Amino acid sequence: METSYTKEEILAQQLQAAFEHLITEVVRKDTVFAFAPKEQVSSILLYAKEKLGYISLSHLSCVDWLESGELELVYIIWSPETKVNLFVKTRIDRENPVMENTDMIWRQINTYQREIREMFGVEFPGFIGEKEFILEDWEDAPPMRRDFDTLEYVNDTFFEREGREDKQDVRERIANRSGEEIPDFAKKYSRE
Amino acid sequence: MYNDKNAQTIVDYIKNFTRKNSLFMLAYGTGCGAIELPATLTSRYDAERLGVRGAATPRQADLLLITGYLSTKTLKRVIRVYEQMQDPKYVIGFGSCTINGGMYWDSYNTIKLLDKYIPVDVYINGCMPRPESVIEGFKELQRLIAAGKADGATKYKENLDWYRNNQKKVLKNWPLVEYNW
Amino acid sequence: MNTILIEILGAIATILLAFTVGMLYGGARRKVIARIQNRVGPPIYQNFIDVVKLYSKETSIHHGWIQHMGPVFAITASITSLMFVPILTSGNWFSNLNFSGDLIFLIYMMVFGSLGMALGAGQTGNPNSAIGVSRGLSQMVGYEIPFVMSMVALMTQFHTTSITGMIELQAQSESWMMFSNPFAFIAAIMAMLGMFHYAPFDIVHAPAEVASGPVSEFGGKYLGMMMTSGSIFAFVKLTLFVDVFMGGASNLIELVIKTFALYMIPVLYGVINPRYRTEQAITYFWKWPAFFGLIGLVWAAFY
Repeated sequence: METSYTKEEILAQQLQAAFEHLITEVVRKDTVFAFAPKEQVSSILLYAKEKLGYISLSHLSCVDWLESGELELVYIIWSPETKVNLFVKTRIDRENPVMENTDMIWRQINTYQREIREMFGVEFPGFIGEKEFILEDWEDAPPMRRDFDTLEYVNDTFFEREGREDKQDVRERIANRSGEEIPDFAKKYSRE
Repeated sequence: MYNDKNAQTIVDYIKNFTRKNSLFMLAYGTGCGAIELPATLTSRYDAERLGVRGAATPRQADLLLITGYLSTKTLKRVIRVYEQMQDPKYVIGFGSCTINGGMYWDSYNTIKLLDKYIPVDVYINGCMPRPESVIEGFKELQRLIAAGKADGATKYKENLDWYRNNQKKVLKNWPLVEYNW
Repeated sequence: MNTILIEILGAIATILLAFTVGMLYGGARRKVIARIQNRVGPPIYQNFIDVVKLYSKETSIHHGWIQHMGPVFAITASITSLMFVPILTSGNWFSNLNFSGDLIFLIYMMVFGSLGMALGAGQTGNPNSAIGVSRGLSQMVGYEIPFVMSMVALMTQFHTTSITGMIELQAQSESWMMFSNPFAFIAAIMAMLGMFHYAPFDIVHAPAEVASGPVSEFGGKYLGMMMTSGSIFAFVKLTLFVDVFMGGASNLIELVIKTFALYMIPVLYGVINPRYRTEQAITYFWKWPAFFGLIGLVWAAFY
């Protein structure tokens, strides 16, 4: 009796056979996660691109795990034949985040690397591109990390318009002024 | 005998009449509020009957519309554009992002109060304001010019130090000379 | 003494007439375009308000003394051309400086204004101005060819080079030159489309293409002078065409009617057309208008 494997399970088995230290997980239809150590990522991506047909890069994203002191990078690649998304995830150290540059595999990954370098502070030594992305002359901590307090920075640098410190609700005030009542179905949007 | 004060008021009246009835608006959309400008300038809500027409460069313009939020990167360029315009010049703040930060009230990259960096004559409320509000804003500016009260440019020249302090607090890498006219 | 006084007053009256009529035609143009686009336009006197506002700017920023001289050259060219065009066919109020060779002189004098503007724009150092100036001068190479061909055809056919001579010939033969040499008329009208710099030949000072070209660093008083010179020059061109092709005008009302009818041709043709690139514009001028000019020359030689 033969069990027939779905295409996601076939992919997981192929990756498991080629690389050690890899944990694969079939999450749902058309999505496979693969957790890898930092040094193996570029070989996994190259293997998936050349041998398995995952020729299209969808995204490169970064997640901040503040409690365990790590940053997690997620490479999302896609194959147009089998139409399966493959997520390759690694964790790197938060204090000194350096990751290998992968722009010889897909040149367009430089845009994502520029953004992650500016917003999270991860260095990709040797990539081709300018250093500044959106923020000009930024000297503080990388702003997308979870320990960057946006509200405190805003109150320090920018001015605020006086007269709204009590933060009243505008609709209630107008209703009180003209002597009307807010109907019941609209009350759930009041600031309470 | 002729009265000096009467002659002066006639000259002022003619000057203000011509200034308010022909405003050259710089065609520069600094934020997302600029999407309402083509609707205001074309066939249905015709703003050209008030004399408003588009100017291509800051040297030819005398009305600057700040339509929406300004990130610090844009603020540097807007200050440079504002100082290139010739006197008398007016600034209209468009939308709620210029009034108190609007939707981006807690963003680390946009400025909240426009009034501290360039002098503003008229604010138009809304997100975005409809073309009827925009035309009402133009007419309010015309009323201020006719009364002789639209003097943002002279305020800027007199209190230049205060404005420069506020601008340098937000913009590092200051690119301009200390005064530019 | 009396005649000199009358001549000076006549010159001043001519300049004022040209300024007023040019500004009103500009306002009428904006009104016509607005009505075609189904909206109410600015009032007809809007150009006057624009010019007075520009002259009353309080600071004027310039980049050197040649930029001062640019608009001065342009106004000088316009007013000098105005002095040599006969406004009315008779009467001594408006016959300013006409002499027997003035058609050839006018063909050269009309180019001088663009040269002044090019000098002024070159001083500013703005790359948009440089691009606009080079495009403008290239287009001028385009439309001068059918224009000169048609003028030479007329001069050959009627054996005279003075505009007043042509007006008298038309009065004698009781038929306008428009019908005596129709091919020269067609070539001249097509060249006139280029001379006015309305669409489709307005790539020189288009705000979306080159940030309004040569006038991009002119503001305040300089821009006011350019607008004044432009409107006087428009009146010069229209009056020249009316005199040479339509028999001149014997009083002011007839002049206004004829020039307005001729003015509607570039305005109405321009309001529905997009813009030509420079090489397309030059190709346009060197094909059919030049062909009609050649046929006009042949017609004039054998008529």
